[in-house]
Amino acid sequence: MKKYFYLIITLLSSAFLLNACVEDLPTQYEYTGYEFADLDPNAGQWKLVIHTSNEQVAIPTPPQTGSSELNRELAEAKQKIAAATSAQRESVKYWTNNPLLRWNEIALELATKYNLIPAPNPDGTYPSPDPANPGKYPLFPYSHPPYTSRMLAYLSVAQYDGLIMAWHYKYKFKREAPYQLDPQIKTAYESNNLFSYPSDGAVIAISSREILTAMFPLEKEYLARMAEEHLESLILAGINVSSDVEAGKLIGAEVAKTALARASTDGMRNAQTNKAKSDSIKNAAKERFGWFWENQESPQRPVGLAPLFGKVRPWNIPNVEAVRVGPPPAPGSAEFNKDAEELKRFAANLTPEQRRIANFWNDGLNTYTPPGHWNRFAKEKTVAYRLSPVRTARIFAYMNMAIMDAGISCWDVKYYYHYPRPIQTIPGFKTILGTPNFPAYTSGHSTFSAAAAEVLSYFFPTDAAQFRKWAEEAALSRIYGGIHYRFDAEVGLEQGKNVGSYSVAKAKQDGID
Amino acid sequence: MNFKSRILGLLCASLGIATISLAQTPTDGLMMPKGEICIAVVYENSSWGRYWEGTYSRENANIGTFTRQMLMPMVVGGITDKINFIVSLPYVKTAATGGQMAGVEGIQDLGLSLKAQVVDKALGKGKLMGFTNLSFSTPASNYLSDYMPFSLGFGANELGLRAIGQYELDKGPYLRASFAYLHRGTTEAERDFYYNDGAYYTSTMDVPDAIHGQLALGSWFLNKKLRVEASLTTFRCANGDDIRVYNMPQPTNKVDFDRIEGFAQYYFTGGRGFGVIAYYNHMFSGRNMGQFSGFGLGMTYQFKAF
Repeated sequence: MKKYFYLIITLLSSAFLLNACVEDLPTQYEYTGYEFADLDPNAGQWKLVIHTSNEQVAIPTPPQTGSSELNRELAEAKQKIAAATSAQRESVKYWTNNPLLRWNEIALELATKYNLIPAPNPDGTYPSPDPANPGKYPLFPYSHPPYTSRMLAYLSVAQYDGLIMAWHYKYKFKREAPYQLDPQIKTAYESNNLFSYPSDGAVIAISSREILTAMFPLEKEYLARMAEEHLESLILAGINVSSDVEAGKLIGAEVAKTALARASTDGMRNAQTNKAKSDSIKNAAKERFGWFWENQESPQRPVGLAPLFGKVRPWNIPNVEAVRVGPPPAPGSAEFNKDAEELKRFAANLTPEQRRIANFWNDGLNTYTPPGHWNRFAKEKTVAYRLSPVRTARIFAYMNMAIMDAGISCWDVKYYYHYPRPIQTIPGFKTILGTPNFPAYTSGHSTFSAAAAEVLSYFFPTDAAQFRKWAEEAALSRIYGGIHYRFDAEVGLEQGKNVGSYSVAKAKQDGID
Repeated sequence: MNFKSRILGLLCASLGIATISLAQTPTDGLMMPKGEICIAVVYENSSWGRYWEGTYSRENANIGTFTRQMLMPMVVGGITDKINFIVSLPYVKTAATGGQMAGVEGIQDLGLSLKAQVVDKALGKGKLMGFTNLSFSTPASNYLSDYMPFSLGFGANELGLRAIGQYELDKGPYLRASFAYLHRGTTEAERDFYYNDGAYYTSTMDVPDAIHGQLALGSWFLNKKLRVEASLTTFRCANGDDIRVYNMPQPTNKVDFDRIEGFAQYYFTGGRGFGVIAYYNHMFSGRNMGQFSGFGLGMTYQFKAF
C-alpha cells in the first residue's frame, strides 16, 4: 500500500519535471551584434526617398575631441557603463548594432496584434475601427495586408532617409566612437571605424517610435518605453555619447515628420468606403463585365476590405494604370472551368506537402501578413550578409515601397474587376483557408510576394532563385487553400514582378549595388 | 480469486470517455481479472452552437452548428487481477453547418494506459477501492492540430497520471472521485510564426498541461447487470492564451470546461459476452472551446483470453 503511494508521488513529480524541461520557444530572431561587411562610407550621397538634401535636417557641430564638453560626456558614459544592471546589459545584447531589424520585428508584432477582423454586432451589422477613437472596439487599426504594407513602407523609408543623413554627417564630422576615444570604454559589439556622430541607433529609435506610434496609436507608451531602452543601450554599449544620441534624435524626429506628412495625404483615409460607394464600385464592374464579387460571410459584410486602396499614392510606379493587368476569364468560360475543376480536385485530394504549403503561407488574420513574411526573409538575409545599418535600411525601404505599390496595384485590379471568389462561384465549395473579404483577381499573396522577390533578387542576386521560388510557392498556396483560381495567382505573380521592377529601376539610379 | 472480485471481473470495465479531442480517460472504478479481455466500440456524437472566446460565450454563423463524431475501438485487458491495460484508437470526423471551412476526418490519437488497483478493503457495509492510472497518448496520423476548431485533436503527446478512489456499498450505490494531472508536450504547426500573447518565431506550439477531475455518483441494479451513473467533470489547463476576438482558436489556448454526464451500462448476460453502454453529457461552463453536448453509444464484448 505504502509503496504504491510512493510510486504515485514519484510519477507525479516526474510529470512536473518533464514540464519544466520544455524548451523556451523563440519570440524573436536570434542574432547578435556583428561585424559589418562594408561600412558604406559613401552612403551619405545615396538618393533620398522623401527628402531633397542630406543636410535637410540640421544638427549642431559636435564638440571637438579633447574638448571639456566631450570629456564630460565620455566620463558620463563610463559612469553609466560601470553602473549598468544585468537587465541593461541584456538590453544592449538585444538591440545589437543593427537595431533597425529589432524595430522591424516590433512593427511585425504589432501588425499581428492588430490584425483582427471586426466581429458583427448582435443586430448583424458590422462596426468599423475609428482612428479618432482607437481604443473603442474594434480597435484601430485593423492591420490587414494593405495597412501593414503601408505601415512598413513609411517605417522603412523614414529609417532609410534618416540613415543616409546620419551617414552624411558621420563622414562629414568624422568623430570617432567613444570606445576609440577612451581606452577604458569597450564596445559591446564588433569594433569598426564607423564614426559615431550622429548616432545611427538614435535615428532608428526615434524615427521608428514616431512612425509606429502614428500607425498604432494605442501602443504609444509601449513604443516610448522601447525607444528609451534603446537610446539608453547606445551609451551602455560604448558606441555613442550623449551628443551623438541627441543629434540622432533630431534627425529621427524630422524624417518621421516628413514621412507622416506624406502619409496624411496619401489617400489612405479614404480607402475604406461606405456601402453606397462600395456598391457603386461593384455595380460598375457588373455593368462592365457582367460579374461581381460579394462577401460570403454570415452575416454578410456590406463593404469589402479597403475598396479604394488602389487610389492610394504609390511610391515608384507612375500610376496604377501602368501596371494594370488584363481581365480574368469570365465565370463559366472554358478557361474558368478548367481552373475551377482544378480547385475541386485539390479540395478532394490535397497531398500533405500541398497542405503544408497552404498553411505555411496562410499569413491571414492574426499574422504579420505576406508583407510581414517578406520582411522576415529580408531580416534573415541582412544578417546572413552582415550588412551595415544603412545598407539594411536601403533594402527594406525599396522592398517595402515595392510591396506597398504591389498592394495598391493589386487592390486597383481587385476592385476594378471585382471578381468573385471560388466559394461564390462553385456551389458547396469548402476550403481549408479562410476566404478574405475582398475580390479574388488578382491574388494579393502573389502580387506582394513577386514584388518583394523582385527587389530582394536585385539586392541579393545569388539568392534570386530562392526568392522567386518562394514567391511562386506563396502564389500556389492560395490555390491549394481553395481561395484563389490559378489565373489569380499566375497573373498576380506577373503583376507583382512588374511592379517590383519599378522600385529596382529607382534603386539602380544610385549605381551602387 | 475470491468471489467478489470474480463478479467484478466478469463485468466489462466501463470506459470513461471524454469529448473534445481528449484521449480516452479511464476514470472508472472497475478492473478486469487476469486473462479477461473486453473489446469495445463506442460511437460518440457531440456538437455545439455556441463557443467560449475566452470566457465570453458567442455564436458564429460562419460555423453554425459544429459537430464532432468519433468512432472509438478500445481494448481493455487484465494483465493480472490488479493491473489492467487499455488501448484505444479513435477515428474522428468534424464538420460545421455554416460557413465554407472544410471539416476533416481521420485517425486521432493512440491511447495506451495502465491501471492498477492499489486499495481494496472492506469498510462498513461496503468496500473502499483505490486505483491509479498512468496513461500516454500520441497522435496516430499526420492530422493538423493548428486547424481549430476542426482539427482532430491537439496534436501532442500526453502523459497522464490519475488517482481514483471509490466507495461502494454492497447494495449497489457508489461514490467515486478521480483526479488527474495531464502533461502535454508540444505540437507542430505548418506555419513558423504565430501569436500567443506576443510573436513566436517557430512552428512549435506549447500545448498547456491540464488537470482533470471527476466526481461520480452511481449504483448497480438488476443483480449487477445494469450500472447507472451521474458525474461531474472539471477540466482546467494550467496556462495558455485566450482566443482573440472573433479569431480562430489554436492549440496554445487555455481550455477549461465543466460538464455533467449521465451514463448507463448494461450487461446482457451479467458477465462475459455482450454489453451496451450509453451516455449523454453537456458542458455548462468553459473557456476557449465549443460548448459541447453529446451522446455516446457503445457495444462491448468480453471473453476469457488466457
